[in-house]
Amino acid sequence: MSDDGFFGRFGGKYVAEILRRPVDELEKAFNEATQNTKFLTELKLLQKNFIGRPTPLYFAENASRENGGAPIYIKMEGLAHTGAHKINNAVGQALLAKKMGKTRIIAETGAGQHGLATAAACAKLNLKCEIYMGEVDIRRQQPNVFAMEMYGAKVIAVKSGSKTLKDAINEAMRDWASNFADTHYLIGSALGPAPFPDIVRFFQSVIGQELEEQIQEQNLKVEALCACVGGGSNAIGFFSSFIEQKEIRLIGAEAGGLGPEPNHNAVRMSGTAAKDGIVHGYKSRFLLTEDGQIAQTRSISAGLDYPGIGPQLAALGSEARIEFTAITDKEALEALAFFAKYEGILFALESAHAGAIALKIAKETPKDKVVIINMSGRGDKDIFISSPVFRPNEWSVFLQSELDRLKEGLDIHDAKSLSSSPSKMES
Amino acid sequence: MHNQNKISLMAHLVAGYPTQNLALKVADALIEGGASYLEIQLPFSDPSADGPVIQTACAKRLELGYSTQEGVDFIKKIHEKHPETPIFLMSYASLVYTPGIENFVTMFKEVGVKGFIIPDLPFDNDEGMRAACEKEGLTFVPVAAPSMSVDRIEKLLSYDFEFIYAALRAGITGSKTTIEKETLQFLNYFSKSPSKILGGFGIQNAEQAFQLKDFVHSIVAGSVFVKKIIQEYEKNPQDAEDKIVNATREKAKELSHTH
Repeated sequence: MSDDGFFGRFGGKYVAEILRRPVDELEKAFNEATQNTKFLTELKLLQKNFIGRPTPLYFAENASRENGGAPIYIKMEGLAHTGAHKINNAVGQALLAKKMGKTRIIAETGAGQHGLATAAACAKLNLKCEIYMGEVDIRRQQPNVFAMEMYGAKVIAVKSGSKTLKDAINEAMRDWASNFADTHYLIGSALGPAPFPDIVRFFQSVIGQELEEQIQEQNLKVEALCACVGGGSNAIGFFSSFIEQKEIRLIGAEAGGLGPEPNHNAVRMSGTAAKDGIVHGYKSRFLLTEDGQIAQTRSISAGLDYPGIGPQLAALGSEARIEFTAITDKEALEALAFFAKYEGILFALESAHAGAIALKIAKETPKDKVVIINMSGRGDKDIFISSPVFRPNEWSVFLQSELDRLKEGLDIHDAKSLSSSPSKMES
Repeated sequence: MHNQNKISLMAHLVAGYPTQNLALKVADALIEGGASYLEIQLPFSDPSADGPVIQTACAKRLELGYSTQEGVDFIKKIHEKHPETPIFLMSYASLVYTPGIENFVTMFKEVGVKGFIIPDLPFDNDEGMRAACEKEGLTFVPVAAPSMSVDRIEKLLSYDFEFIYAALRAGITGSKTTIEKETLQFLNYFSKSPSKILGGFGIQNAEQAFQLKDFVHSIVAGSVFVKKIIQEYEKNPQDAEDKIVNATREKAKELSHTH
């Protein structure tokens, strides 16, 4: 828990006064809800029946054998409903908003996973849902837009600023400032002004609590826990039960992108490019220009492509409790292919960063201790990004022929086959 | 203190937008039109307390690049030409905090800035902003909002600020403001305080300005000017200068003169 909104020197409530009241009211409601047995019971039921918790702690036996060194385990958050850990927070906050008497939920989304989870939670809890999404992100994340709309959410294209995640955040904040009487802003990561970092960690900490039990049940001696870190909601939830267990190493994998040059990655903690800053309502480590403008970031994984990091993770990093490492796009893709091939598990591109660092650490660790990865999401959502990487020709032929079919209005049974393509398709 | 036929107007512009030179002409036009104060916004990529109009202007300027030093140079030129018009710098915490708050304040003091409006530095957790301003004989202007709790308004008043910027609509700048009872109630909280009230956010026309004038030290208008600049400039940049200068001057005249 934060100390009045702060984690060491990070955190705080750096918001304009127009947002102060909703933020303060939310803080009060959250503190009450976490003491309320009825709320906690309802949450538990939703976690079990709607989200599908607990998610398994799975022994990746083949991958461990191929890799050598310590056994590798995977916490399968990607099996949660809607395909990622995001749903833990979305359901929790939506339930909290409902208890506060709110009837409308707004959220920002970049890659679309948080928007998707929020839309599903709102459908389940009968709340009106509007998702702000940058026009550029709508363009590159169509499948998630489709799913959100199926869940009854309205997806609002943000055309201001750079038309990406940060502009969606601004637009959502603006909406909230005007409409907080009936509206809750359901933020997606463990960042933003207090109390959001505490709220998001609270709802994500179910990952760490389950893991602690599963480690005991399976009688494992843990060397390291590995999570990817964008804003950091999966990481803080995964690590939450282990912060005081100092014998366990906590490893955060940041987006190394194309490499260490400026603007080619989203490395806030393990490099030297980031500095203390105040952005989006909180103080943390940010990638900023000399003047304090937000710097460009780059990663193949949309979920890690963010210039800041949740304040609690920044604090734990600066006191060296969490070790941060940069994983490049290339390393993440290799890990993705490795686990798919040996385990039949397709990681989300974000989570593949955690997979990559775990493979390295396991190699250097004796066999009597284990390394655990948080697979924060599964990779189905990434096919428009990863498929062009792994099989560019086949993918291009597929998209072209699908477009032709739609234009001609043909049923799939009547469309011409792809076999004229140069691919090695199954025959 | 003010001419009876004149409403004190704080006119807002985005530094360097659409271009450094054209923005200087906008400053001239606003002052010629009757602005008593200028609020100059140093563009930041994520202006969370601004509406889409000002956000767009900031983003467009930043696409071309805009350094804090260019902002300093911009203000220097305006202050040299119009030393009688107090200039307030508006921006966001990231640009203030990153170079070091004292450095930031000193940089702008040297070119004639009188005060700073930084909406995401809360008055009770300002990172030393007020102290840094006062050390240099400058003023830090907190932003108040009608949604503030009474306790928080009282806390704000107990800080005895020279100016308070009152955001008159619950939402963000640039939406249409009708001056409602609630707004006037909110302003009443401040009427007994010695702080000078700058009342802004959403003022579009003379009627609104006139309704507000007795409740505030100065009205603030921003997006109404910026919208005109965007319209003209994005339509045809070559041909925009005269139109922008005329439109902003006439709007400033409309808002600052009683009829």
